Amino acid sequence: MTTSSFERNRCTRISPSAVLDDRLDGKDLEWARDHLRRCEACRERVEDFREMLLRVGRLPSAAVSAGAMDEAFALSIPERWRAQAGSRSFDIAPASPAPTVPTASDLPSPLRPEVGSLPDLLTELEREIFRDEPVQDHPTRLSPTPEPLYPAMAEPTEEIEPVRPTEPVQPMPFLELEPEPLEAVGEPESMAPAQAEAFSAPLREVPVDSHRETEPLEWAQEPESAEAEPPPRDVPGPVTSNLIFDHEPAFSFDPEAEAPAPAPPPKSDTAMRIAVGLGAAACVLLAAVLYEGGLFKPSNNVSSTAVKATASVHPSATTRASVSPNATPSASVAPAPVLFTLGNGVSGGTMFRIRPGTAVAGYTRLVFDIHGAGLPTLIVTRPDDLHVAVTFKDTNAAGAPVKGITSYQVAAVEPGVQQGADGTITIDLARAARITAFTLPATGSYAWRLVVDVHTS
Amino acid sequence: MEREFYSDFPLVLNYVARLVDDIDGATAITCAAFRQIADGLRHRPPGEGLRRADVFRAATELSRQSLRPRRWFRRRRSAQVSLEGFPQPEARRALRRDTVQRALTALPFEARAMILLRDFVKLSYDELAEVADVAPRKMVHALDRSRAEFGEIYDYIKF
Repeated sequence: MTTSSFERNRCTRISPSAVLDDRLDGKDLEWARDHLRRCEACRERVEDFREMLLRVGRLPSAAVSAGAMDEAFALSIPERWRAQAGSRSFDIAPASPAPTVPTASDLPSPLRPEVGSLPDLLTELEREIFRDEPVQDHPTRLSPTPEPLYPAMAEPTEEIEPVRPTEPVQPMPFLELEPEPLEAVGEPESMAPAQAEAFSAPLREVPVDSHRETEPLEWAQEPESAEAEPPPRDVPGPVTSNLIFDHEPAFSFDPEAEAPAPAPPPKSDTAMRIAVGLGAAACVLLAAVLYEGGLFKPSNNVSSTAVKATASVHPSATTRASVSPNATPSASVAPAPVLFTLGNGVSGGTMFRIRPGTAVAGYTRLVFDIHGAGLPTLIVTRPDDLHVAVTFKDTNAAGAPVKGITSYQVAAVEPGVQQGADGTITIDLARAARITAFTLPATGSYAWRLVVDVHTS
Repeated sequence: MEREFYSDFPLVLNYVARLVDDIDGATAITCAAFRQIADGLRHRPPGEGLRRADVFRAATELSRQSLRPRRWFRRRRSAQVSLEGFPQPEARRALRRDTVQRALTALPFEARAMILLRDFVKLSYDELAEVADVAPRKMVHALDRSRAEFGEIYDYIKF
């Protein structure tokens, strides 16, 4: 139950799952305890695994009402078995209206053996991680008031998933079931006889607000007729396997396709396509005009006056000629607007690392790790629309690697510039963006941090 | 069978919803899994009810097939089941995509299934070995790999 390998000079002799799932006994258990007492790497691994285990164990569950289960029972269990069972002979506790989230006290800790010598960092880490995003990312509900109905669906913003799940194309090495019962289950008359075939078109025409949540009540009111089932076509369906709650599920049926209503007149679709095409053409023309006018030319971040000049919509050469003499950096340049002033004024630190990444597609998060006794004074300024400057007062910021930090919102991060005691990092934005920033204290293995979020505006 | 169905159905439904990351398709897959196992009961000795491991195994396999492109689940969408009275908005809210769910979704299917079966459903090692078709003595290492991968992904996307 233990491994005997080293990963990058890191001891991995202990199998964390064996420890956490109580799979050790006798001499193995004694050896593991003794090793955990001495080996910090293994202790950390076990603690990390324990946190992951608790996080998954704390995932909330959807409650299913008794009526829904009765219906599922009628759908799932064949008639001969239902006849034997008769009607439900016991009561089901009513489903709670809100998803139940177990508290920390009744979660898997009784089932898992505690590693007594390890501190429980979970609460502290959770507080630290989710402090800034109480609504978006916290696995448990933080507020006793009910949330609005699926807020992610309420505002159909364009989201880009940063991490695409990779479903294995090849069959999984385990769970090979015989295909015969699956086909039997898939028969419409065997599972849902009243459901009509819905998948009739290879490319479904998506309405403009296709990201809006489908109304389940309307589904329930749909007339169900097996005769209305159109002949199934062998057409390529959506090949993506990335099913997410926010989007329309690939597995769901299309109520419009199911209903035997006549197809909408093609004229409206054609008109819509023409309108969309004209709009796209207009956008291209507008972009070309603006480009010729100099708005989209890369700014040099020299001064705010130069940016004002290039941001002029009028595509005349005179404008550029008239402002070009003033485009040199000078003392008369107005100071960049300060977005945030953070920190505690501690000096002598070093900003040694910038970590890019995000858990949400709507923004890019840049985490600046700072060594030192505390947070220096941090000033976030916005010299122009496409640049954000972060000044670390009395802090060395020249050594942090900045290569390869790009995203949808961030074009690049310029190397740190040391001006006297102050270090400055400039973030080049790829597009207009909204900036938020906050700081985090040093906790555990984390250093002092400045977090800058670049939101798509 | 009745009691087994009513006690296991919510758990299987939530497991499938987490596994396929889709509450709408989870209902159909769960019903199909129960029906598949109930259909197979006629080949078993009388008096034997639904075995939990069998239900989870069937649900896992059906979920895997539903995620494959151009399989019968894709071609025949009639498998969708809409339960009247099922609190769909509340279920969506409960199963919203928090960071843990996003990390789970990014995992390979078998690792995701293993983590959910062990840590979310809390199957025993014997049941898990039966569902995942992995020898029990190899289960610890399989879980180690899955959890390590999950931890890496979670650490990557949490910021």
